[in-house]
Parts: sequence; structure tokens; C-alpha cells
Amino acid sequence: MSQPTANGTAPWAARLEDRIPPHLDEQIEIYETQIAQKRQGKIDDKVFAETRLRRGVYGQRYDNGQRHDGIASRALEYPCGDLTKGPNTVWDAPGMLRIKIPFGAMNGEQMEVLADLAEEYSDGIAHVTTRQDIQLHFIHIDDTPDIMRRLAAVDITTQEACGNSVRNVTACPMAGVCRDEPFDVSPYAHALTHFLLGHKDAQDFGRKFKIAFSGCEQHACGLANMHDLGVVAQVREAGNGTSSGTERGFRVYVGGGLGAVPHQAKVLREFVREDELLPLAQAVCRVFGRLGEKRNRARARVKFLVAKLGIEEFTRLVDEELAILPADERWTTYLDDLSVTDEEPTRPAAALSPGPRPEGFAEWLGSNVQRQRQPGYVAVAINLPLGDLTSTQLRALADTARRYNGGHVRNTVEQNIVLRNISEADLPALYAELRAVGLGAPGASSLVDVTACPGTDTCKLGISSSRGLAAELRKRIAASIKTTGVLADEAVKDLRIKVSGCFNSCGQHHVADIGFYGVSRKSDGRTVPHFQVILGGQWTENAGSYGLAVVAVPAKRIPEAVERIAGLYVAEREKGESFQSFIARVGKARVRQLLDDLTKLPTYLEDRTLYSDWGDPREYTIGDLGVGECAGEVVTAVEFGLSAAEREVFQGLLELDRGAAEAAAEKAYAAMLQAARALITTENIDIGTAPEEIVGEFRTRFYDTELFFDPYAGAKFANYLFRVHGDAETDSGEEAHRRIEEAQLFIEAAHACNQRISQAQVAGTLRRAV
Amino acid sequence: MNAATEAGLDDLVKLDLKVLASSDSAAAPEEFIPVFHRWITERVLPELLIDVADYSHVHEGPGVLLVGHDAIYAYDQSLGEPGLLYSRRRETSPETAGIRTLDQRLESLLLCAFRACDRIEAEPRLDGRVTFDRHRIELRVNDRLVARDDDTVAALESAFSRALSAAGVGNGRGSVALERIGKARERLTFRTA
Repeated sequence: MSQPTANGTAPWAARLEDRIPPHLDEQIEIYETQIAQKRQGKIDDKVFAETRLRRGVYGQRYDNGQRHDGIASRALEYPCGDLTKGPNTVWDAPGMLRIKIPFGAMNGEQMEVLADLAEEYSDGIAHVTTRQDIQLHFIHIDDTPDIMRRLAAVDITTQEACGNSVRNVTACPMAGVCRDEPFDVSPYAHALTHFLLGHKDAQDFGRKFKIAFSGCEQHACGLANMHDLGVVAQVREAGNGTSSGTERGFRVYVGGGLGAVPHQAKVLREFVREDELLPLAQAVCRVFGRLGEKRNRARARVKFLVAKLGIEEFTRLVDEELAILPADERWTTYLDDLSVTDEEPTRPAAALSPGPRPEGFAEWLGSNVQRQRQPGYVAVAINLPLGDLTSTQLRALADTARRYNGGHVRNTVEQNIVLRNISEADLPALYAELRAVGLGAPGASSLVDVTACPGTDTCKLGISSSRGLAAELRKRIAASIKTTGVLADEAVKDLRIKVSGCFNSCGQHHVADIGFYGVSRKSDGRTVPHFQVILGGQWTENAGSYGLAVVAVPAKRIPEAVERIAGLYVAEREKGESFQSFIARVGKARVRQLLDDLTKLPTYLEDRTLYSDWGDPREYTIGDLGVGECAGEVVTAVEFGLSAAEREVFQGLLELDRGAAEAAAEKAYAAMLQAARALITTENIDIGTAPEEIVGEFRTRFYDTELFFDPYAGAKFANYLFRVHGDAETDSGEEAHRRIEEAQLFIEAAHACNQRISQAQVAGTLRRAV
Repeated sequence: MNAATEAGLDDLVKLDLKVLASSDSAAAPEEFIPVFHRWITERVLPELLIDVADYSHVHEGPGVLLVGHDAIYAYDQSLGEPGLLYSRRRETSPETAGIRTLDQRLESLLLCAFRACDRIEAEPRLDGRVTFDRHRIELRVNDRLVARDDDTVAALESAFSRALSAAGVGNGRGSVALERIGKARERLTFRTA
């Protein structure tokens, strides 16, 4: 099923056979089979949507086959006809691929592969996200298995990058080199990433689940307070004072999150030892999977569960789960080698020597370079405009990183990239290299370094052009700095501006000093793009507080609004007064008054420019809004299990087609076992994979209780399983054919059984088996 | 059977063609945003056009893109040399669906790229400020499955040279001289010498 080969060479699957880790290879094979099934109409739209989302394959704006050109909505006639890749999502429509980069760490080889993929399948741009991922846009779904293979060959996965799953685990990009951290959180983020990836206790969520690590409490670092699970490094005296020294551990937060309704996380544990972290995270996943909202996705994040139960009750439930968790050696084995994520300097530490400097060096040094804990070394931030860099830049960066630090970089949640372990003496040469490829812009993590989500550029939920606004703000701020305008003032230099295209906060506007999110307003019978101005948010102290909306301003007037707010702060702040304190003192009413005239719109005929958005000449409309895929499709674990059984029987069909009767019969049997196991998981999540155990449990829970019995055919379908279980092997083509048919009927019966159980649960009439 | 067919290059779809802008061209990439939006609205090209993407903020990047289903058009800024980039990804439009050989494909690539160049040069919004040098052309093989052995490279170069000559590049007389550019790990790229 691989892509046709060019030049008669082996396709990627064959070429990379020896380089792809088996667990990733299996996932990609499954996905490729699902693509084939979908093309043949053998997999449900909703199930396929969730399964591709869990592999990072996302929809993009206009993928419903409609596009508003400013005059009217017109059909985009994709060649695939009515083939879809999810509800209202056309197969051929370009999509986005989200690539997980745990704690943002990439090496040179990985960067080169990402550069190649961006050129060959995307638009030549790699985009760094606010979760340290890399995203590629305008991807065709048919290309995704090969892309995944090429990524897997350099140990990168897209698995669970989207959908209702554990998303990319983020961490402070300074972890390991920070002067304030008690220890490096990187190996713990690495361990938790791999522990929860594909974990059975993290497959049945109603929404996504985000985890962040931070080395300290005081800086923004991992933004622990705005995560479903926030983990902050701590040390304490070891062993109740009976032994000497300190022990490592973490303060663990739960239930934080931004979105439309932001929640500050609550402390779940003041201190968990390092060996307790993974089981604690697993227990939290279990509680969330079991009790989290599934039907109403608007209230399905763990923050709502924590709010509903209260942190005390939530903690009690987690403790209960912890007490019954089956022991898992992976909880602690990783502790034997915490150096797995280490990045050692490759150049000798040396001070910056006096001498001639390249143009712009001093400014760059002041804004983009930070001293490390290790004497003589610094971390260098690369300020990426809107998180974008070209394939050429990414390749050049790989070379530069290899030259100066062994080839390591970290993506940041501010959509930048950090080079660590740089010898101070190398800074002028490094700067010259970065500057030569357009990566030497100053102002990283400052006012000019505006963060933005994709917004209306590619997101189906985008209301206003967050990237368009961010690009414009970058230009204006840079110009103001050059002409020593108000935005050049030292007081505002380090303020953060963050822009989201809608209220969902992917641009993290709630924790910016000045945040914006896209809204629309009606005026003169037309719709006008606006942004809500958010003030009072706090970036430091791990996103210490959330801002609130002050007033909605037309999109085209936001730059003016920024200048006015900054001007007010510059003019009226008290000595040493932070921006948050200043806003709290002068009050939001004052700011609203300051911006009031900007909210008054001229008529369309007086000034049409306000009726279109930044970077988009079309007359503004919200007609392109679609159903977002951030939330994923709510597909239960049992549905996934049944889908896997369908895939297995489909592969059996293929075996039968090629005359492999024995293999076909084996697939049919395996499919029935998978379907039975899927049903059992509704009652026993810890069910194993041994056929004897599955059949025994199935008999007890679904046969003896008659739950599996068809209203008309009774035990007929259940007996298919029992019969084949007693006599699994056959090389008869006729028998294999029959078993494939029986397996298909068994799976159908399992679907029907699941539906009956669900209905009975709703009606409160379910008779439990045991 | 010609050398390209023999080298298995007839299945090679992912190709980029860049026609460099004349040295006196003077337009910012952002100026292409309304142009490309209008092309979508007015369906000026015989293929499905979907969206416009603005990367003008990126250093020597793809500039502004017109994203189609089968191909991406861009006023590309790579290597600091503006030009019209035509990047073919698929062949589903009536105009390209029947292509079977590399020779046909290269002919089609040149046709599509030159047609876009013609339109840009005639674009009222750009006021004649962008023109293209149709003798300075680059071909990038956007598929790393393609082998780089001497026979394959020679077959590609020869096919491209023939296609250029047939399209009137280099005065249409004889083969057009090409040079290979870029590093070994980069895409296989030829440019008119």
C-alpha cells in the first residue's frame, strides 16, 4: 500500500525497514490499513477521524469543500468526489500534520528529515507551535504514512499528537542548563512521554490531556499552572531526617487549562518522589478516563472534573486508583539512566573575548543570549517570526548546531528555538552564521516576539487572522524600536503579546501581558473582524494568573491599541511597578476608556479597510468557520477496539485474496478475540491478551449473562468464537472463508452488544455480570 | 524506450520548476496576496485552486503561495532570487491526468509555469513591475526516492534540456546547457547555465 515508487527504487517502507522501531512501524501499518479501509467504505467516518487525529493528521480550513471568497461561498471541487476523511471533511482537502517533539528536543538528523518533509510534502515551512511541536501544512492524507515512516526512522512520532489523548509533553527549554532549577526535568519528561504513549489507561478520554514540566516555580518555564497536569521540580531532605542528603521529587498540579474558560491548576501533591511520578500520572489518567465527561466536549477537560469533584475528592479518587494499580516496572526502570536526555557541550568553555563584532551583535547578545548554570556557556534563542522557518534554514541550523553544541536544539512554547551549551567565545561566529541565514533577529522573548496560533490562515475555528495581526505587530514594533517610538521604551521591552484567532486560547492569550483573541462584530449590515483585548495575565511564575477581556477593538486598529496601552504604562507607571500591577492599579475601566474611540466603526463606504482582516483582501466573513478538530471525536475505547478487530478481519480478507488460507483464518480468529476483548474492557480494563483469558472472561461476562445474545439469533455469534477457539488452525480455503464471515458477524454482534449496553446504562437498567 | 523511461523516471511527479524574475523586477511578495486571491475567485487557471498562504515574513522563504490541489504556485524568494515557483504534487486535473512520461511531464511543467508568468506580467495590480527571464530556469526533483546514480542524473538532465529547448528556451536550437546546483543532501537541482 506504499506510494508508487519513482525511479524503480524501493518505497519508503522498504527503504527504512531496518530503521523504524517496531512499535511505531506497527502503528503506521495499522493506520495505512485504515486508510485502505476508509477508501473502501469499511470504516466509520467518526472512527476514522479520531484515529487519524490520534496520529496527528488534522483538518484544515476549507476542508469541508467550501470557501468564501469575500463575495459568496463557493464549492471547491476536489477530485475525490464524496470520499471523506471524517464528518464533513473531504479526503483530498489539504490538511495539517502535527509532529510531536517531546519537551521540544531535536537533533541534527531529525531537523534534516523535517526539512526534507517540509519541502517534499508541505510548503517548505516548518512551524514551531506553542506546545513545542512542529507542524506541516497543506499535506495530502495519502502522503501521511510515508511521512510518518520517515519520521519514525529518526525516532519521531505523530502518535497522539491530536485527538483525545495525551498531547506532546512540554518542558522548560532551559531544563538542564537553567541557573534556578534544582535538577534537570528532561529525563522525567522523556520517561512520562514514553510511558503514556499508547498506554491503555490514556485511551478513553473525553478530551485532550496536556502535561508540562518546569524546573522552577518562579519563571514561565513550563507554564505548569495552565496544564491538565503540571509537574514542578522540587528537592527535600531525604528520608524523614534519618538519612543524609536530599531527594528529588515534584510538586504536582492538576486541572489547569486555558481554553474559553481558563482554570488555574490545583496542587494535587506538594511532593511526590521521582519514583512515584509515573504511577501518579497513570492514576490521574485512570480517574479522568473513568469519570471525565464524554458527551459534552465543552466540559470534558480534566479541569471541569476537578472543579466538579473538588480537589480533595479528586485526590482521594487518585489515591484509590494508586492503591489498586498493577505494579509496572517502567515506573522506575528509567531512573537507572537519567542521562538519556543529556546534551554535553562539545566546545570548551571560554569567555567572550574583546574584538570586532558583527553588525547587530550587541543588540542580539542583550536580548537573545542567556547565561547557563554551567560557567562559560550560554543558551541562545532564535527568534522565529510567527514560529516559521524554511527547510533551508532548518538544514543550516542543523549544521550550525552540530558545529557548536553537538547538534541539539529545543523548541520553545514561545515559538522559538534555543541552542544550548554554546561556549561564550563562539558567540560572534555563531551570530554571524545565524544572521547569514536570517536566524539572527534580536528581540527573542520580548515585545516584538509576538506569539500567534494559526488562526484563520489554516484553522477551521479561526475567527480573526491571528497570524496576520501578529505579523503586522512585529513590523510596527520593530519600526517603533528603530525610531525610538513608545514601543522602544525599556519599560515595555519585555512585555509579552500573544494572539489567538478565537477564544480557544491556542495562542495562550490569557497568560500574556497584552493578549488578543479573535471575535467578530456586526456593523453597517456587515461583519467586521475584531480582537478582544486581554489584560492582567501573567507569563511568569508558570503562568501565575489569567487576564480578562477589556474591550473588543476592530482588528485593523489593534496596533494603535497596543501603542496606546504601552504609552499609558510608560507615562504613568510607578517606579518598579510591573505591568500587571499597573493594570490592577489604574483599572480596566481606564484602559477601556482609552480605547473607546477605536471601537467606533465608520460605515463601509467611509472606510472599507476595516471590513477586511490583516493579510487578507477578501471582504471579511465568518462563513468559512467549520467544526474544529481540536476536540477530536469522542470515540470510546471499546469502539476503538472494535475498529481494530475490523481492521484485523480486513487484513484476513487480503490474505484470503492472495490464497493464504492459514493466515486468513488466523486473522479471523484474532479479530474475534480483539472484538471480545474490546467488550471486556468495559468491565475489566486490565484484561490481558492471552486467548484463554479473553475467552474465559467473555464467557463469564457476556455469554453466561446473555448480554451478548442477539435478540433473534441468541448465542449463535458467541459460539463462533468458542468454536474457533477450540480449533484455531486450518489450511482449508473454504474453512478460512467461513471463518472470515463468522468473524465479521461476531464483530457486528459485538457492536450491537455495545450499543445495547450503552442504552441500558443510560436507562439505568444494566444488569452487571459480576 | 528513452533513457528517462529506462531509468524509471516516468513515475516521478513531484517536481519544482522556478522561473527567475528579471533583475529589474520590483514587487514585494505581499503584493501577490490580492492577486492570488483573485485568481482563486475568478478561476483563472484550469485547475483547483484552494488558498493563499503568506510567508513573506520568512527570510528567503516561499514568499506568498497560491495553494492548489495539484500544485503550489509561489512568488518564491529562496536564495534571495525572486521567481515564479511552480511545485507539482499531483496530476488529477484534466490537463495533466493523461501524462505518462517524464518528457510529457516536463513539457507540462513548463507550460504551467510560463502561463503563470504570463498572467503575473499582465497583472494590472503589479503594473508591469514583475517580469520573468524565461531563460533562467531551475528544476528541483522534489522526491528523495529518486536515485542519484550517474545514469539517472544524466537521463533527467537530458530530458530537461530537451524540454527546455522544445519550449523555446535557449532560442529553441539544440540542447540547453544545464548545471547542477546545491549540496549533495539537498534536492537534486538543475539550472540553466
